[in-house]
Amino acid sequence: MKNDNPTSPHIQIYNWHISSLVSISHRITGVLNYILLILICFWVISLMLGPESYQYFKIFSDSIVGKFFIIGFIWSYIFQILSEIRHWFWDMGYGFELRTTKITGVLIISGSFILTIALYLLSGVLI
Amino acid sequence: MVQISLPKNSKIQKGKYYKDKTGSKNLRKVNVYRWDPSTGENPRIDTYEVDMNNCPSKVLDVLNKIKNEIDPSIAYRRSCAHGVCGSCAMNMDGKNGLACTKPHSEIKGDINIYPLPHLKVLKDLIGDLSTLYRQYESIEPWLKNSNNPTKTENLQSKEDRAKLDGLYECIMCACCSTSCPSYWWNGDKYLGPAVLLQAYRWIIDSRDEERKERLKKVADELKLYRCHTIMNCTNACPKGLNPAKAIASIKKMLATS
Repeated sequence: MKNDNPTSPHIQIYNWHISSLVSISHRITGVLNYILLILICFWVISLMLGPESYQYFKIFSDSIVGKFFIIGFIWSYIFQILSEIRHWFWDMGYGFELRTTKITGVLIISGSFILTIALYLLSGVLI
Repeated sequence: MVQISLPKNSKIQKGKYYKDKTGSKNLRKVNVYRWDPSTGENPRIDTYEVDMNNCPSKVLDVLNKIKNEIDPSIAYRRSCAHGVCGSCAMNMDGKNGLACTKPHSEIKGDINIYPLPHLKVLKDLIGDLSTLYRQYESIEPWLKNSNNPTKTENLQSKEDRAKLDGLYECIMCACCSTSCPSYWWNGDKYLGPAVLLQAYRWIIDSRDEERKERLKKVADELKLYRCHTIMNCTNACPKGLNPAKAIASIKKMLATS
């Protein structure tokens, strides 16, 4: 039966919760990481081809845009890993209480930023 | 299918403004989603100025006041007014809940009231839940123990009975299912939190003899695994239940059986 009645508003009016925010970010970072894998392949190839070709990557990674991308991708990976750890616990049946999901959600978001900064600073020291 | 924007016939327009006639100094603006099937016009948001000095505490009271004193044409479902029947489920202040248990003092600013999200609207705040009821029927929500009919009472241990706590209290108000983005995009195939919680209620019942068949029936990429643990359902449930946990329990049973 064809139903021409209007559809009530949904995503336009529904409040965001921490859990839904983390969920959609988990999906987006999942797609990003997939693309990132291809870029990592290019990076490895440029490394294999020797110093000259690596120079091109170096110019990119030293630029502001390059740094933005690299930090962004580090964040994306860390976020995905942290969120995935929570998914493991969920799969085992733990951590479904509203309070727990709120706390773990905040931990994932703040943890992803803190670890990103830490890792970036650490890589600066090490290299 | 994921459709972020509303179809053309569902775009919301600016509606009428009902100015206060009581002269009260304690006014609140209440924005209500309106759609009249007899006019063929698009939905609109009507705004009412409501005198809060003479209004009881819940959002349903505000709606009743509007219907009784300002605009009798407004349509919404309600019955028990005590959070038991689940009729007055709607979206208030961007979150699903029961109008009869939601205090309007919890809402800051204007009170925005919409029907439950992503349903075909029948009139004003009344959404069409027939798909959900069909899905509920599909999980066969009744006790199946016909193989061993007992002549006496069907007894249950205290531990087995305790497994139904947090499940039997569900009033099927549909707040959870209509808060779930997965149910918005795949509502015709994905069963949604309300129905899956009910499915689990029968799967876990020690008196039921068709656990295996029930599990097999629900183990489906679309019916069950469209749950991505967004947790909107648990956030929305006006009875404080945890549909997300019930769904996870079904997934766990399937993974370990």
